[in-house]
Amino acid sequence: MSMYLEMIRVRFLMMLAYRTNYYSGILIYSINIGAYYFLWSAIYGNNEEIQGLSVLQMTTYVAVAWMARAFYFNNIDREIAAEIKDGKVAIEMIRPYNYLGMKTMQALGEGIFRLLFFSVPGMIIVALVFPISFSANLSTWLFFFVSLVFSFIVNTQINLLTGIMSFFLFNNTGLIRAKRVVIDLFSGLLLPISFYPLWAQTVMTYLPFQAISYIPSMIFTEGFVGKEIFNAVLLQAFWALILLIPIRLLWSLAKKQLIVQGG
Amino acid sequence: MFYVSMFFQYASQYLKTRLTYRIDTVIEILSDLLFQAVNLIFILIVFDHTASLGGWNREEIIFIYGFFLVPYALFSSFFNIWDFNERYIVRGEMDRVLTRPVHSLFQIIMERMELESLFGVITGLVIMGYAATELGLTFAWYDVLIFISMVLGGAFIYAGIFISIATIGFWSDSRTDIMPMMYNIGNYGRYPVNIYHKVIRFVLTWILPFAFVGVYPAAYFLNREEWYGYAFLTPVMGIVFFSISYLLWNAGVKRYRGAGN
Amino acid sequence: MNVIEVQNLRKEFKSYSSRSGLSGAFRDLFTRNYKTLAAVDDISLNIKQGEMVGYIGENGAGKSTTIKMLTGILTPTSGSIVVNGMNPHKQREEFVRTIGVVFGQRSQLWWDIAVQESFRLLKKVYRVSDEDYNRHMGHVIETLEIGPLLDKPVRKLSLGQRMRCELAAALIHNPPLLFLDEPTIGLDVLVKLKIRKFLKEINEQYKTTILLTTHDLTDIEALCERVVLLDEGKIIYDGKLNQLQSQAVEGKQVEFEFLTEIAKNNLVFLPNVQWEQKDATTWLAHVNGDERLVSQLISLVVQKNPIKNVRINEVSTEEIVRKIYEEGMALA
Repeated sequence: MSMYLEMIRVRFLMMLAYRTNYYSGILIYSINIGAYYFLWSAIYGNNEEIQGLSVLQMTTYVAVAWMARAFYFNNIDREIAAEIKDGKVAIEMIRPYNYLGMKTMQALGEGIFRLLFFSVPGMIIVALVFPISFSANLSTWLFFFVSLVFSFIVNTQINLLTGIMSFFLFNNTGLIRAKRVVIDLFSGLLLPISFYPLWAQTVMTYLPFQAISYIPSMIFTEGFVGKEIFNAVLLQAFWALILLIPIRLLWSLAKKQLIVQGG
Repeated sequence: MFYVSMFFQYASQYLKTRLTYRIDTVIEILSDLLFQAVNLIFILIVFDHTASLGGWNREEIIFIYGFFLVPYALFSSFFNIWDFNERYIVRGEMDRVLTRPVHSLFQIIMERMELESLFGVITGLVIMGYAATELGLTFAWYDVLIFISMVLGGAFIYAGIFISIATIGFWSDSRTDIMPMMYNIGNYGRYPVNIYHKVIRFVLTWILPFAFVGVYPAAYFLNREEWYGYAFLTPVMGIVFFSISYLLWNAGVKRYRGAGN
Repeated sequence: MNVIEVQNLRKEFKSYSSRSGLSGAFRDLFTRNYKTLAAVDDISLNIKQGEMVGYIGENGAGKSTTIKMLTGILTPTSGSIVVNGMNPHKQREEFVRTIGVVFGQRSQLWWDIAVQESFRLLKKVYRVSDEDYNRHMGHVIETLEIGPLLDKPVRKLSLGQRMRCELAAALIHNPPLLFLDEPTIGLDVLVKLKIRKFLKEINEQYKTTILLTTHDLTDIEALCERVVLLDEGKIIYDGKLNQLQSQAVEGKQVEFEFLTEIAKNNLVFLPNVQWEQKDATTWLAHVNGDERLVSQLISLVVQKNPIKNVRINEVSTEEIVRKIYEEGMALA
């Protein structure tokens, strides 16, 4: 366990070392939130509310969705693909730890860094510029953080799956890009799921993506109330469990492949 | 002339590689199509809940999007050097490039070209065609020439911005996430800039002029005369931004530190 | 005629040191400790046409940095470089057409395409005419025995095969000056010999000037008459290889293996001879003198004690270089 903690710490330090990245990141996230704020204001026009969300809630939704993204987002799929291509994975395999576990911990270190040094100060800045409503309700915050943890887990699991696919494809960049596009759209980062036509919403309940962005953002903006919150978090937990199965399967297949081909 | 023949050399090598990995090529084209579809879906869903966006209707916004895809496809095919820092600076490939008697930027553009992205031109034209029919737009013969010059202008604006960002690698070898985020910002040029706050509008017009790769030039074909001034500035902006990036690049090469040591 | 003329060349790198620990890393976010290091410190060097020069030094001594400045990859901080009558960095594109470069650790060829496709592309890049290419490269391909490899993609080649192809690729335009940075790293002896033989040949045939850096000093022994020794960015020796040997090594070593165990007082004591015990039956004599003293010593020892084996150790270049770096050397 302490080994994994060490990995979180090292990745955390690595992130701190890249300071150009840090400054530019804050700027770019702010521009993103700002542009979406105006886009949504224009979409709302004179409407008081759309699909049960007021303009204020929508702005909050956009801001929190982007800031949460800073926490759950990571590039471990690309890293895994690169390590497979360079043949580094074979070396990682003989190390005394679980490769996927290690990748997850690196991602977590990165996520915690961004959450503390990026999302929190960023959110404060954004709140000063744009009208954003923060809940006064402690349980909302509690559920939000629980749900944020799950969104990290589900997103990381999907990244692991995409990364492992590199064992079976010669060049994985297309798949990785497709995954990123799908997540942006179907996770609710760009559009709350409730905005989609009903049939599309039904389809999406069978997909894990809304666990990534829609659920924590809706909890934060209090778009979900009462039992809805509980069900939503439960759904996230459900997906976090289900996704373990394909990861296990593909990983054992991948390991066989690695033995046969020698990396 | 030498550079033209070099281009064909590299392109034929590229096609040979691509033919070896056919499945990857197909996946890449499909993922491009998916990306284009996702953005279209966004527009369609938004217009389920509103009739206009800052005074522009659904078909107009779709037309802007279709236009955007054409210069963007040219950009993705030739200037998409998002992994420049990682690949050429950190791994030291730049050393090799600099020992060859061809301009370094040209070599890198040639090595990183992805011709399959050109499919985006077709998607863009189809989307524009649909929107133009819905709107009943008519075009004159010279509009073709104007279209080409605006598309080239847009592609060079994109290229200029991304090359300029890539040159950061010459000054600081630390990893940056600026590149991927820039794709997001590029998207905002596809919406009418009048919906934004004037600061953002200024940024999208003069600092990161993505509005010239979407709404401004498209406004010309949509007969939005109030934007004509900006629309005709598109090729000029393309030349200016590409020249800036070229100068930055040459300055950066002088600062190159080499890899490894 | 000088192919390379370097005067007071200097290259500085600015680097920062990271503070330790989390709080240190956090402070680095706002301010950093910078320091300037001279990787190459005031070097002057002339190389004539047709010379083969070995450029040696420890890791970080500034070898690669020099090579990169000579090939136009890096801009010098100060000093002047004229190579093939040009300023490498200023006239880069024109200049690099007159040189060939091989980086042993980095491929010049395209990974995914067949070797001959890479060659074809490079032929265009260097604007080599068909006749020139056929005449010159036919010979190169034959000598390096890479004909059968030409239709294979680079990623399928072994290191030795790839290295030979790299060398051929660097010679497509038949450059009068060749830079080789660790060309034999990781190669087996047979491939090394093949490459050395080839380099000698082109040097004789075309009067190609070769500047070579390597860790493997046997390369230098086999190829170079002249060596340039670099330490901490400065040239500490520039001259003939055999002169380095005689200057650096005062005297010789004689190793005696006796039949029985020998105590120190049973040995022969002469002025300028020092003894060192290696194991129970083996002693090493450090002789500070010429051949006469050595033969005198051997005959005296052999008379006194039964001998199993005597060996006069030739000091290898590697040892000389190691000695120089360990003890420092006052060479003119």
